[in-house]
Amino acid sequence: MEEDILTTLKILIIGESGVGKSSLLLRFVEDNFDPEQTLTIGVDFKTKRMTIDGNTVKLAIWDTAGQERFRTLTPSYYRDAQGAILVFDVSSYSSFSKLEVWLNELETYSTKSNIVKMIIGNKIDVDRREVTREEAMRFARRHQTLYIEASAKTKDGVHVAFEELVHKIIQTPGLWENFGSDHIHVGVLENATQSGCASYCSLV
Amino acid sequence: MADILSETVLPEDLKKFEKIYHEQLYKNDVTPKAQFEYAWCLVRSKYPADIQKGIILLEELYKTHEEGQRDYLYYLAIGSARLKEYSKAMNYVRSFLTIEPGNQQVLSLQQTIKKKMEKEGLVGMAMAGGVVLAVGAIVGVGMAIANKAK
Repeated sequence: MEEDILTTLKILIIGESGVGKSSLLLRFVEDNFDPEQTLTIGVDFKTKRMTIDGNTVKLAIWDTAGQERFRTLTPSYYRDAQGAILVFDVSSYSSFSKLEVWLNELETYSTKSNIVKMIIGNKIDVDRREVTREEAMRFARRHQTLYIEASAKTKDGVHVAFEELVHKIIQTPGLWENFGSDHIHVGVLENATQSGCASYCSLV
Repeated sequence: MADILSETVLPEDLKKFEKIYHEQLYKNDVTPKAQFEYAWCLVRSKYPADIQKGIILLEELYKTHEEGQRDYLYYLAIGSARLKEYSKAMNYVRSFLTIEPGNQQVLSLQQTIKKKMEKEGLVGMAMAGGVVLAVGAIVGVGMAIANKAK
């Protein structure tokens, strides 16, 4: 029921074309996988309810097209997002190198300075890896983002990734609680201050 | 309840892409990119007149620029649905799905449109729209038949 929802969080999924953004979302929201997943047109949107630490939140997830042709328009969806998932494909080094560009995009267009960022290394089921876990973790730590490895195909890491992201958003002071001021949980806020630099990098 | 049809464009975005389009129009050299970006903003406007204009631009692109046809078809469906022209929107969705039957994004748009129609009690109107759905008029159940439509 609506009154049980602590807040609605806006989550953004970005990254190169073909890295599995829509597949991760489909796995998370519908527990499904489409081996013939087609290219996203513009932006897609799905919602999902999730209970974290006893609080139920609604996630409004915006899945952006990775193709170049949509790049001029997708940044307008960055507005007010509380969380961003940057996806790369562990079997494609070039998709990993482009993360820097995506982080800059986020820096430029997101309106919340304390937006929680998470990098997901997707397709860990693939045999031929081009990006090691260590290198990706180093990158994530340097850019102060969370890091999780996952496979939308096998389900590994997908749910944990979203849980981790939402958990971090809820713990971040000032990121979401202004929205529904009648729902403030003071305890959550007080605990939050200590998490500032402790949990930048986590692994499945 | 938020969905892909209730999301609207920011006025500053609309203005920005309108300006680019008009500059190119003035030089008589409109690129499909500029036209599409402007149309994408228009079909997400709050104002029906803007949406209508976006649809005209997308229809034109659909006829002249083969490369982006699936994009144009998708946003034609969105624009029509936002104008509450549901049978038209469903026709665009159906054309799309004959080419890409398993497209998750379009299947989910189809669901969203159906839900809107049910909520507004307009299931019957779409039935007048399609051949497959004409069968449904007899049965009288919108949902079951729509699933048969490819």
